[in-house]
Amino acid sequence: MDALNNVVGGFAHVLGGGAVFHALWATLIGIVVGALPGLTATMGVALLTTLTFGMGPDKAMLVLVCVYVGAIYGGSRSAILLNIPGTPASAASTLDGFPLARQGLAGRAMGISTSGSWLGTLFGTAILALFAPSFGEFALQFGSYEMFWVAMFGIVVAGSLSGGDALKGYIAGFLGLFIATIGQETNHAYPRFAFGNGDLAGGLGLLPVLVGVFGVAEVLSAMRGPAVKAVSSKIDSVIPRIRDVTAHWKTIIRSGALGTFIGAMPGLGEDIAAWTSYAAAKRASKEREKYGRGSIEGLMAAETGESACVPGAIIPVLTLAVPGSAPAAVLMAAMMIHGLNPGPMLAITAPEFIYQIVAMLVIADMVKMFYGLVLVRPLLWILLIPRARLMPVVFVLCTVGAFAITSRLFDIWVMLGAGLVGFILRELRFPMAPLVLGIVLGDLLDKNLLRGLVLSGGDVSPFFTRPISMGLCALTVLAAAWSIPGMAGIFRRRTA
Amino acid sequence: MSEADAASPFDGEKAPASPRADLVTAVVLFALGVAIIVQAWEMPRFLEQSGTGLTAPGIVPGFHGAVIALLSIVLGLRARARGGWAVRGAATGTAADRRQLATAAVLGLVYAGGMVGRVPFWLASALFVFAFVIAFEWELGPRGRTRRIVEAALIGLGTGIAVMLVFEKLFLLRLP
Repeated sequence: MDALNNVVGGFAHVLGGGAVFHALWATLIGIVVGALPGLTATMGVALLTTLTFGMGPDKAMLVLVCVYVGAIYGGSRSAILLNIPGTPASAASTLDGFPLARQGLAGRAMGISTSGSWLGTLFGTAILALFAPSFGEFALQFGSYEMFWVAMFGIVVAGSLSGGDALKGYIAGFLGLFIATIGQETNHAYPRFAFGNGDLAGGLGLLPVLVGVFGVAEVLSAMRGPAVKAVSSKIDSVIPRIRDVTAHWKTIIRSGALGTFIGAMPGLGEDIAAWTSYAAAKRASKEREKYGRGSIEGLMAAETGESACVPGAIIPVLTLAVPGSAPAAVLMAAMMIHGLNPGPMLAITAPEFIYQIVAMLVIADMVKMFYGLVLVRPLLWILLIPRARLMPVVFVLCTVGAFAITSRLFDIWVMLGAGLVGFILRELRFPMAPLVLGIVLGDLLDKNLLRGLVLSGGDVSPFFTRPISMGLCALTVLAAAWSIPGMAGIFRRRTA
Repeated sequence: MSEADAASPFDGEKAPASPRADLVTAVVLFALGVAIIVQAWEMPRFLEQSGTGLTAPGIVPGFHGAVIALLSIVLGLRARARGGWAVRGAATGTAADRRQLATAAVLGLVYAGGMVGRVPFWLASALFVFAFVIAFEWELGPRGRTRRIVEAALIGLGTGIAVMLVFEKLFLLRLP
């Protein structure tokens, strides 16, 4: 009953002061950003963070949550209509969404996408409301030793599972951790890797680096590839059919649970959630032959999984200050910029904030549903904007985003450098999620390792012998073992 | 992406980098790792303040540098096992792709690195967007070029003015 009262309190706090207006425009921007190939949810949240500097923390978080939820949903529009995922999260939706569109069922596919996404976010939000507060209280037992392992676990999990090459994932993670060490450290204010440069001594700002890695690098990637071809599919009714939902309730629950769980794992994100949900639905399906040829069940699974991942990815942000996905990492940075301190102490300093986030997610989900029903034709026109006209505008917004937080021209150079490094790393097939997680978790790892060593007088044994520490250490080792080919094979055979 | 790929969500969606590219990457990363270790080693230890040296600023970056160096050796050995220097990957993209990439990179550098901070931001942005659109739409041919140039000018001007109004006047942010 307390939880219900808290949720009602969360809504009462969030609604008002033009909240609906902010939710409407922010979700719309999110959907447009997500729908446009080349613009990702991470970039959308990073760029919109700039716009929220002048807002209060409540409104700023509402705007950013709406952009995040909208962008993940918007990606499926281009996946269905163009066979090009608007965001990496929607890649799984192309498999069945586009074949449905080619069969003249684009409207029905979008209806499935809308209902699956709506239910997925709602499912994940319910899990967040139920478990985040108690997990937050449990996380209060975490000391420096445990927080060190939480950071290390995040890097290892993101490296192992974020797609592609685990070895490169680890390298990207440690490069991120190294980047986070540049600038003055906290114990002695010694400027590390500054080489006498005052700007470098101030450290590399998180937002300019993220805008570079996700904005500038994406502009470069988009301008290099072939142009998007125009869609030529007739669109039937986009109103979700009740039968499409009731006939696949098991898929929705399974995908919702999987999506939320994967979201809560540090650094994995919506694309892994969508693929895992899709693969699980296919394994459990009685009509596997339809997968890849326009399976309603497959599309429902992918959409539910990716959208359930959004609230899931916010759970570790609120309870451990560890992001579950790349957009959640930017959201966490924005929380810090606005003076909200996510992490274990949130359960003491602002326990009501968790329920406010729940209210924001539900509002964003409702607005997303509204746009899903009315925003079909206009979005189709937006999708056809030539990239040569869109990308320079995005680049201008990136520049503003990098500069606005501290008004330093140096940050624009940081953005350019991060963009170049990000582009090269992508070309060499290094995953970006571990890099971002490393940059975000670098400070957490740095402080807690040194604090732990000081507390124990140089003795490393508490890192391995305290009960929670030991458990986290074991989980980290298991996650690392996953990336050893033989071990992963054994695991997959057992779960198949 | 084919249907079969969906069976394993953890498989990368792109072809792996070539062994030669991985080998070069491994050498660069190893050099970076060693450089980090050397820099970290040369940082002051602050023994007089802490007594133990456990708060030395170089400990954590030194650890990261060591891991990067170690993992780069593994990357290099793996690349060698896959054929090493002899195996080159397919060229990434066509010559036109590379030209487009270079054009975008140069225009971005001139704008963000050269014009921003020296030219009024709205004007710099308008010129950048105009030049970018023209550069990429020039190859569409002479037919309709005048219209495209006018449209590019309007998009550039619109972007410059809109960014100034929205960020500076509406959201009260400082622009470069």
